[in-house]
This record gives sequence, structure tokens and C-alpha cells, in this order.
Amino acid sequence: MTILAHRDYRNPEVHEAEIAVVGTGAGGSVVGAELAEAGRDVLFLEEGGYHPTSSFNPYLAESLPRLYRDAGGTIIMGRPPIPYAEGRCVGGGTVVNGGMAWRPPEEVLDAWEALTGQPDLGPRSMEPLLDRVEARIHAKPQHPASIGDDSRLLEEGARRMGWRYEHNPRAQDRCVGSNQCITGCPTGAKQSTLLGYMPRALSAGARCMTEVRAHQLWIEHGRCVGVLGKAINPSSREEDIDVRVRAKAVVVACGAIQTPFLLLRHRLGRPSRQLGKNFLCHPNTKVVAVYPTDLYAWQGVSQGGQIREFREEGILMAENAVPPGTAAAQIPFLGQEALDLMKRYNAMAMTGVLVEDSHAGTVTRSFGAPMARYSITRYDHERFLRGVRYLATLHFEMGAEKVILPFSNFHVAESVDDLRHIERTQRSRSTIELFTVHMMGTCRMGSRPERSVVNLDGELWDLPGCYVADASLFPTAVGVNPQVTIMALATRVAQRLRTPN
Amino acid sequence: MGHVATLGCIHFDTHPVLLFVAPPVEKSAGTNHVADPVLERHPDDGWTLAVPMKVSAGMHRILGKLVDAILPETPRTETTLRDVTRHALVSLQYMPRSSATVFLWTMRALNWSPLWRFRGIRPLTSLPTEAARRHLLAATRSRWLPIRLLMYGPLGLFMSSYFDQDYVHHELRYDPRTFIASRIRVRREWLAGKEPGAAEEIHHRPHGSR
Repeated sequence: MTILAHRDYRNPEVHEAEIAVVGTGAGGSVVGAELAEAGRDVLFLEEGGYHPTSSFNPYLAESLPRLYRDAGGTIIMGRPPIPYAEGRCVGGGTVVNGGMAWRPPEEVLDAWEALTGQPDLGPRSMEPLLDRVEARIHAKPQHPASIGDDSRLLEEGARRMGWRYEHNPRAQDRCVGSNQCITGCPTGAKQSTLLGYMPRALSAGARCMTEVRAHQLWIEHGRCVGVLGKAINPSSREEDIDVRVRAKAVVVACGAIQTPFLLLRHRLGRPSRQLGKNFLCHPNTKVVAVYPTDLYAWQGVSQGGQIREFREEGILMAENAVPPGTAAAQIPFLGQEALDLMKRYNAMAMTGVLVEDSHAGTVTRSFGAPMARYSITRYDHERFLRGVRYLATLHFEMGAEKVILPFSNFHVAESVDDLRHIERTQRSRSTIELFTVHMMGTCRMGSRPERSVVNLDGELWDLPGCYVADASLFPTAVGVNPQVTIMALATRVAQRLRTPN
Repeated sequence: MGHVATLGCIHFDTHPVLLFVAPPVEKSAGTNHVADPVLERHPDDGWTLAVPMKVSAGMHRILGKLVDAILPETPRTETTLRDVTRHALVSLQYMPRSSATVFLWTMRALNWSPLWRFRGIRPLTSLPTEAARRHLLAATRSRWLPIRLLMYGPLGLFMSSYFDQDYVHHELRYDPRTFIASRIRVRREWLAGKEPGAAEEIHHRPHGSR
């Protein structure tokens, strides 16, 4: 198994491979593993470092620079601005996500089939791919011993309210609920691609170049023949060594923001002008309830289940305990007032509302960095307010002392009666505080070059030899946690690439 | 293919079981303490944390004042302000240059918030901490989105760093290391064939309590 880091690179060097894969997250690692196991010579390029399970720890301030893009300081501009988190390490987002393993809803696949006019993305074609992915990531519900009090509280609350609550299938093998999903699972239970697909790929002979940022594609005679990048010095963070990779095919799998950022450098996507458009992000917001007794929400699996009663309206609700460092950064208090509230951390139930996108934003290049723009619509805003009211009502029904609301001008509800003020105070879309981790859709897949960026094989319409395999392929929002859908589409791209044409 | 090397210090997890047979990581030199194989703040996995971004003495003063005003007065140690400032400067190294530059200009803008709020002519660095905090709290709760946006960066960086310290965890009665270690033991037994039972379930809240 070969994993290279900055110290291993020399100037000038050209690395050769049959297939270069940029990114090792839910898309890249799957493509690479499938191809390597089929006997192809695969070389991964990963901007982040390699961090084994034994190095994971619960310290957020250390995990952010190790595992996250921009140390977690990334934001989508719009009304309101939406901070987002993206993995940057071997395993990518799968190392720091919640591990939820929901299949794309059948109606979404039906819509994709109708949109593309081809059966490739329909439920019947996707079924075997989804089966394969689920088997490889051990997708299944949690064992009762891993469930914490906050999950049980939400389930009981949903039952009292008469709402449908479903246990999450998760990518896990004997998860014991250590609740450290977002800082890297220290028990090795979460089946991120760091533990599943990447070892498969490397065991089959693939190589992985870490600490390399891909800056541009290598294009000759109108065909993609490689990737040009720079190795990042881990100490100074200077990009000080040129890295050139020559390959017969290049798979770009950097996520729905970084993938279009890379491709836009070459002004690709001309036939449809859709590259960087159709940016979707499943925005979500937090509702934190403080209970009279301690729940220790940080003990037990993060998101044992979801309230799916309102899924047809595009609203999902779930608990999601985060470390104190993350929680404190999201409360509207400073100094001692912040500490006084945080002293109730053990009594907090941290829950959230996710709203399915009703429109799309864009990703462009700006001053050498990607610029994502996205604003929620009035319809989204109305659903957020409804979702927050639902969750806060549930918490009061379950006996919460107070509920901290995600509004910059209305912070705390002391009783269910206070929730009436939401309508009056929340007329502007700018006062709600949102967050996201599900970026999708900026290189939409399709069957016609004038309507999509890549074809149904994942290959760019206007750059032969260059493929995309990540969430940017989604033609529309998927409405659930996207990991399994990304992996299934990446498996499809690998299967098409495996057959030389 | 050019130069190829395999990192000797890396234990690649080909299977989760290997996690538990990996040799313990030695703690810092000079102590005989052998730590658990996981959960160290600075685990030795061959990876280097970046050096802090170099900024002027004036910017250090601004950051120091903002950190002081945003964080709770207690608990702190002698090095709290320095540690949190350092963490912010290290984090900036992981951002694109343009983002880091914008962040530093944001700090300058916040330093002069008394002026643009028409509440004074002196910067925060010249004000007592309590007065500086009032200005920053007003910015955090401003009705104007661009002003609230100025506080996103410092709140995220400073609060996440401060509330990540062991002495603050102690104040909050948050002890993830002990809990995680106990869960690793549960999983280790499970991998050996003993499925968790009722004794391993996580319960703190009385059933049906309101």
C-alpha cells in the first residue's frame, strides 16, 4: 500500500497512472476502489492528510484543521449566509459526517429518470448499485446499546405528537455510540471510506498522493490527459512543489463546490452553461432545548433517527449533538453569559430542521477561491419557521425549560406561548441562522449536452477523458443524506470507465 | 512513477479490528506514561500542525482584545488568551489567502466598531474589556446582516477553541475521553463475540420523565 505525503515529492516529477482520481471522499474513493479491484492502475490525489482512526480524538480545535476544509471556516454567501462544513482528509466528508445511509427516495429517482429521458438514473437501474454500496458500508440501524437519551427523547416526543419517527440506517459496523462522528470515529465503527473503500483500493494496488491540491487539468488536443497540482507544505502551508499526474482518464470528485471550481478554470460546460449552476445544499437550522435534568446528549449515537412526518413537505427533523466548541459558537451570547448557558450543556437536546431546496444557487471562481452563492426562498423560509415551531413545541411537550431559537432577533422561548412571536418577528429571511453539510448539483448529469454538464457515464460533454463522480452530479436535490446516492453514482461511473471504449 | 515511499509511522486501518491491536502511542518524550491508542490531543500520526500565520504586533493586540472580550472571564489559565489567539492564527493558515485576509480586515473593522456605531472614537484595543464586550455583543445581535456577519469568524474560531480546553470541559462536566474509552471497551468485547446487553445501554434520564 502506498500513501505519499509532501515529504515524498520532488521537483520536477511526472507521475503516471491509468486513471487519476482527484478526491477520496464518498465519490472518489468508490470510483478508485471499484477500478483498482478491476485491475486498473489508479492514482488518488487528496488535498488533505492521511489520519488513521488511532489518531482521532474528541478535541474540536485540533480536528478542524486536520480533517476539515479551511479549518471549518467556510461559508456560502446569500440571504442568509450559510456556514458549511466539508471534509479535507483521506476519506473526505465520510470521515466527518454522521454516517447516515438513506437511499434516495423512489420519487426522486423517478424524477431523475424523467428529467434525463433515460432509465439509467431510475429506480430499477439504481437498485443494484444501491445494494452493492449498502453491503460495502454495512448500512443498518443502530444497536439499542448505542442509543442515547436525546434520541430516545426525540422518539418519545414524536410519538406523543403523533409524528412518524424512523431509525436511521447508518454506515457502521458495531457502533457503540461514542458520538464523535464529526471529529472522526475513534472506535472504528463508522464505515467511512477511510476504513472501507480506500483500504480496498490500496490493497488492490492503487496509490494515494496526499497533501496535493489539484489546480488545473492537463489538456492536450482537446482531451484531458492528467492533472496539474501543487504539494502543500504541512508546516508553512505554502504550495511549494509542482505535482504532475499523467493519466488516460481523470475523475474529479472534490465535492459540489471544489469540483466546479476546478473545472471552471478551463471554462468548461459551454454547451449548457450549467457548470457551477444548480447548486443545492439542504440548508438546516438548530433548535436547542434545555431540560431540567441532564441528558448527556454527547453520549450515544449522533442521530439515532429522524422525524419524517413532514418529508412530503421537504422537512426533516433530527437530534444532532455537537461538542461544546461547536455549540458555543452558535449561541448569541458572549463572555460569562455564554458560559452560564454552556454550563447547562449536559441538559441540552440539540436538534435541527433540514429543508429540501426549492431553488438553486451558483458556484463561481472569485480571487482564487470558490464562491458559493445561495439564498433561501420565501417558501423555504416559511418551512423553516414551521419546522422550528414543530420542534420547539415537541420540546416543551417533553418538559423543556426553554428553547434556544435560531433567530438573531429572537433568541429564547420560555414557553410554548412564546412561539407565537415567531410569525411576528421573523418576517425577514436574513434573521434565521442556517448551516449545511449537503452540497450538491453543480455538474448535473444528463442525456443532452444543452441541458447538463456531464453525460450519463459521468464524462464531461466538452472534455473527453474527464469524468465527475461526486454530489455535483445530482440533477436535483435528493432530499435525504446524500452519501449512499453519491456512492451509487460513483459506482456507476466506475462501471462505465471499467469498460474501455 | 517517480519517488515512492510508504510512511512508516502510519498504521493503516485495513479492518476496524486492527485498531485495537495497534501498539499504544507513546506520549511526549521524557515521560514514561503510555497513553491509550486513541484520544490524544496531538496524536503522533506523522502529521504536522501548521505554524501560526505571521501578523503584525498591532493585529496581535486586536486579536488579543477581541479574544478577551468574547471569552468568559473564568475559567482561564495564564495562557488562555495566547492559546486561543494562536489557534486562530493556525486556522487561518488552512484557509485560502483571500479568506484569511478578509478575516483579518474583519478584525480591524470590529476594532473600530465604536466609531462606526457612533458610540465613541476610540478602538476596542483602548477600551476596558467589559466595554469592548458590549460593542461586540451589539454587533452579534445587530439587525443588520453585514454587521452580524463580521462576528461569524471570531465567534466560530475563538469559542470553538476556548470551549475545547480540558479545564472548560471540566467546568461543563463534559468528559468525552472517559466515555469514549469505555465505549471502545464495549466494542472490543463485541468484536470478541459478546454483544452489548442492557448493562451497556446509555441511560441518564428516568424513563417517561417530563
